[in-house]
Amino acid sequence: MTAIEIRDLAKSFGSVKAVDGVSFTVEAGSVTGYLGPNGAGKTTTLRCLLGLVTPDSGEALVDGRRYVTLPQPVTEVGAVLEATSFHPGRTALDHLRILCAAAGLPDERASESLAMVGLADVADKRVGGFSLGMRQRLALSSALLGRPKIFILDEPANGLDPAGIEWLRGFLRHLAHDQGAAVLVSSHVLAEVEQTVDNVVIIAKGRLVRQGSLAELTTNGDSAIRIRASDAATLAPALEAAGAAVERVEDGLLRVRGMDATSVGQIALDQRVVLTEVTQERSDLQKVFLELTGER
Amino acid sequence: MIGLVKAEVRKLFTTRLWWIMLLVMLVLIGVNLTFITAFAGVTNEAGGGAALPARDTAEWVQTAWSSGSGGSIFVMILGVVMITSEYRYQTVTGTFLTTPRRRRVIAAKLITGALVGLLFAVVALVVVAAVVIPATLLSGGELSLSESRIPQVSLGILVSTSLYGLFGIGLGALVRNQIAGIVGAVVWAYVIESIFTAIPVLHPVGKWLPGGAAQALMSIDVDTGLGRPEWLPAWGGALVLIGYGLLFAVVASATTVRRDIT
Repeated sequence: MTAIEIRDLAKSFGSVKAVDGVSFTVEAGSVTGYLGPNGAGKTTTLRCLLGLVTPDSGEALVDGRRYVTLPQPVTEVGAVLEATSFHPGRTALDHLRILCAAAGLPDERASESLAMVGLADVADKRVGGFSLGMRQRLALSSALLGRPKIFILDEPANGLDPAGIEWLRGFLRHLAHDQGAAVLVSSHVLAEVEQTVDNVVIIAKGRLVRQGSLAELTTNGDSAIRIRASDAATLAPALEAAGAAVERVEDGLLRVRGMDATSVGQIALDQRVVLTEVTQERSDLQKVFLELTGER
Repeated sequence: MIGLVKAEVRKLFTTRLWWIMLLVMLVLIGVNLTFITAFAGVTNEAGGGAALPARDTAEWVQTAWSSGSGGSIFVMILGVVMITSEYRYQTVTGTFLTTPRRRRVIAAKLITGALVGLLFAVVALVVVAAVVIPATLLSGGELSLSESRIPQVSLGILVSTSLYGLFGIGLGALVRNQIAGIVGAVVWAYVIESIFTAIPVLHPVGKWLPGGAAQALMSIDVDTGLGRPEWLPAWGGALVLIGYGLLFAVVASATTVRRDIT
């Protein structure tokens, strides 16, 4: 099911085209990483999606509707935008209770949501004394208040320590894979999301440069399969005969291009050659990212 | 809408500013009442008439009672802060994510601002009553509701203090900068309105300002030594005040509804 749909979205601030004809979708039960360097237009896209910024043209829909038309938005979409959006003199619990009142949710949700992000101990502390990581958790707990099925998070890993990032990864995977939520998470640091996301949308200078699954992105055209075989001398000509490009790396080790692992295995079986290693060589995602976004 | 008003009330009462404002208002009204009570009926040495009527007169009760309007500026500041703190701390993002129909947020803020104004006015009136009623009775005066116009002055204070909450919200939505909004409110109330309502030559303009209209609504009819001011009739003052309230409500709504929150 398509949870989020961005279609030909465009938004300019003055003469700067922040978002320029971006389209992509996010499906339920998956984590989609929205990646791009700082200033690429990620935040503007998300704010258009959430009705905070009015796009110049195009559409940004959640569950097929514009966010501003949702009767009870927080029960459908949980959003985390900046970590700084709290009144420093207000306690964490009071902050959430205000949102509960505005959304018509029972007040118990406030303490429940704080417990879900591990902030129950500091519920009655003023937010002014919180670390950046605690603020991120508080922001996440506010997104959980309405128990939504769609999550939109803008740079949620900013300011988190390594343990916090690890926690966030697990939490996002849990939301998507165990609870079937659609999660759209933006980041300018690929490493933060690499182990979490199923799909990737890459944007640079307001334009979409790549969309696909993480596997598709990393196994692009020139990726190879490393094969260690008992009888490489027999296998190599057979693979070449089937159309693959074979590079003899060393004795018993081949690099095969232009053929998938299944076909390689089938040919090996036909030739009665034992394969002792089959490794899909992944191209370095960081390299791909930098190439695609023109940062290199 | 009840939920939204509840949220706005919580926003106000979960931070400290409201009781600071309430405290300052009480101090100001207290100082004012002390002055009015201490110098009541005191004639100056040059042999002229007393600047303030004597404590046992209905005129003194009316003058003292009107000091209950001292809460307006503080309610206005709270109104300014109700809007500007949302921008200052970017809580406006969460507010509009929860309630994307922004007009409803503004409406809830206006209702809350008026309610807070009402609350402050009631507190002010209780304090005023606690001082003025014993003071005039102990001085041998009689408390006549009709002669001292207590009901009308009280009503004027309640209505005008409430509406100053709306003025603050409108001003806050217009400037969005907290310091600019508060300074603007103070300058407006203590400088511009004071000048236009205190100097007789400027009364033709001053009577159309919110402060002048509030005076008209209270129908304060006491010569302060600068000549008897020519206010609008009480109903005219009420209409002008409500007009300002609507104007600021429209300003608050128009400046907020389509703005990009970045």
